[in-house]
Amino acid sequence: MELHGVALQRETAANPVTCSDFLHFATALFGLTTFEMTGRRQRGNAGIRGPQSALTDFLASNNISAAQIRDEYDRRAAEAARQAAEEEEQAADAEYQDEAPPEPQPESPEEKSRKRKRQQAIEKIKKSKEFARRKARRTGEPDDDDDVLADEMMNEKQRPIPGQLANCEICGKRFTVTPYSKTGPDGGLLCADCSKKHTDGGKKGPAKKRNSGLGRRQNQSKLLDGFAIPGARSLLETCIKKVADNIDDVDEFGDLPPLVMHRLSQILSRNRAVTRKTLDLFLRPEHKELNIYDCAKLQTDDFHKILATMPALTRLNLRFVTAMKDEVFEYMMARDMKIQDLHLNSPNLVSDDCWRQLFTKFGPQLQSLKLWNLDSAFDDETAEVMSKTCTLLRRLKLKYLDKIGDKTLEAISTMKTLQHLSFHLTQETNPEPLLQVISQLGPNLYSLSLESFQLADDRLVQHIHDNCRELIKLRITDNAVIADKAMAELFRGWSNPALKFVDFSGLRDVDMSNPAGPPEAVGLASDGFVALMEHSGAKIEKLKVTSCRHISHAAYEEVFAENRRYPALKSLDIAFNAPVDDYIMQCIFRCCPALTKIVVFGCLKIRDVRVPKGVAVIGTLGAKLTVDGIAQKEIV
Amino acid sequence: MESSTQSEYVTLVSCDGFEFILPRSSACVSGTIRRMLDPSSKFSEAITGRCVLENLSGVVLEKVCEYFLYNEKHKDQANVADMDVPAELCLELLMAADYLDT
Repeated sequence: MELHGVALQRETAANPVTCSDFLHFATALFGLTTFEMTGRRQRGNAGIRGPQSALTDFLASNNISAAQIRDEYDRRAAEAARQAAEEEEQAADAEYQDEAPPEPQPESPEEKSRKRKRQQAIEKIKKSKEFARRKARRTGEPDDDDDVLADEMMNEKQRPIPGQLANCEICGKRFTVTPYSKTGPDGGLLCADCSKKHTDGGKKGPAKKRNSGLGRRQNQSKLLDGFAIPGARSLLETCIKKVADNIDDVDEFGDLPPLVMHRLSQILSRNRAVTRKTLDLFLRPEHKELNIYDCAKLQTDDFHKILATMPALTRLNLRFVTAMKDEVFEYMMARDMKIQDLHLNSPNLVSDDCWRQLFTKFGPQLQSLKLWNLDSAFDDETAEVMSKTCTLLRRLKLKYLDKIGDKTLEAISTMKTLQHLSFHLTQETNPEPLLQVISQLGPNLYSLSLESFQLADDRLVQHIHDNCRELIKLRITDNAVIADKAMAELFRGWSNPALKFVDFSGLRDVDMSNPAGPPEAVGLASDGFVALMEHSGAKIEKLKVTSCRHISHAAYEEVFAENRRYPALKSLDIAFNAPVDDYIMQCIFRCCPALTKIVVFGCLKIRDVRVPKGVAVIGTLGAKLTVDGIAQKEIV
Repeated sequence: MESSTQSEYVTLVSCDGFEFILPRSSACVSGTIRRMLDPSSKFSEAITGRCVLENLSGVVLEKVCEYFLYNEKHKDQANVADMDVPAELCLELLMAADYLDT
């Protein structure tokens, strides 16, 4: 009987929806407030009242019969009344026969048909795909659960869809169903207020999984920067990052030490956040140096302002200074500034004349000069003026300067004070002027960086071997002429102490039709690599042999043999060295206790590596990396 | 004297008189405090186990202490998130971090 009652209630709750929804629709349409929305709830014969004639007309025009709607309603109301009466009767019966089980009531033909319909619907549900899917989800439960499941789905089907009206299960209030309406404890829907209360009191959603660390993207970014040191970042670095993030709210830096200012400048430049406003924070009259790595958003006026507010400047390091013009240089000269270190990237609007004036005026006081990306100015003649006037220059770096070539190299070979020399010229130069530079300046050089001298040959390394005694850093890149034998001879019996920084990337033969290379190996190959590590292994900190693809597996095995140790090696780049495999990797980790970063792009034989803690392995493809027994998600 | 240098906890005092008592190992995350407390230095801080930091206010020192414990908690863990620093404090905290060598 009870079940029967519930079914009936459901029917009354589900069926009238069409009617009430329609009423709601009509109210919205005509603003007919006289329409009795609550009438349906009232027991008895309260009919629908209102200006029916107009509505009926409208409905009729839309092929809807108002009479039918009313009849349906009347029938349901009558049924509800009868049901209520029956229940009362039964309750009275129960009072008399407390212990006796309630007898099944005879069912009216109407109810029978309804039950049949429901049974049919349930059968239909049982055959549906959705049912099969849900059943599959509930594996391990007995088969007779089918009925329960079908019943559940049936009830779900009968639930009002969003936009319709329903009665709240808890407070009984009428409300519009939304997709966010919650299900009450007995399966009915709840109104907005009750939904809130219900969730507050009831179970909360599954606790969100919080990673203990940063997001995956940030982790990978850190790894690509070669940063895999465990533990929290230092408070100083944390604060610097935070300040950089909130740079727009900072009015003044206060007495920040220059080192911190430098770091801030680096971060802001990388974020491309150096503007006229943020620049002001860095302009401090008492400071002697200024480093801004991105001046792309600054105007010519801003450079004037820098020079005007910082008269004590000795070190001016500005990158991407497109807006720097002759006037700025002239102002600098007029103010008689004591610039000793001048590092400028792309001051292309400064004319050659102005460069020469600058060298004539400041040449004798300059200690370091670094220039990048000059395509429309700075020619050989200017370089000659520089070589004559810069009598104290110790560091010289010229990269991507379009207008200089052999003559510049010849001029530079006369600058005997140079200790650090770095070239990356865009013009192709002959080998001889470079040899002249090495033989003249070699004995004093601490660092030598020669990128993309593609015509340089064995004589270059022979000259380095013969002349250089003090080198700490050596870089020769992108050359397919120098032979492996010459490279090996460079390091054998070289009176130069062990190198700390070595970069021989791209020293290899390039011939598509002969990937193994000529029989006499070209570039840095096995022999040269072994000789290099024998010579510099004790002190080497940074080694880059990218694309030196003729280094054999055997050479790697020899260099990273069990008894060899490279105590200072921190950063190793062996990208595109195809022979490197898992075994070599483990040998490398064993031989290099100080290693923090290893780059292995294009080393496809690396499949499964145990990585020591604190080492960033960059560039594996589909390999399994394990740190402390925990598999890592790989980069790329 | 010997016993106090061995004490497990140390006291950090801010310029406005707030005292923070925390494990010695945490406080020694800071290079400056580590050197202050080094028994071989014979500084009074090392003897009493009490560091008066005249240039740090209580608010800043509280955050610094929070960092000390945060650092200790996440020691040797990979991929540690940065500790949250309130934006209004970060410049002061930056100076403190520079001074404390952390």
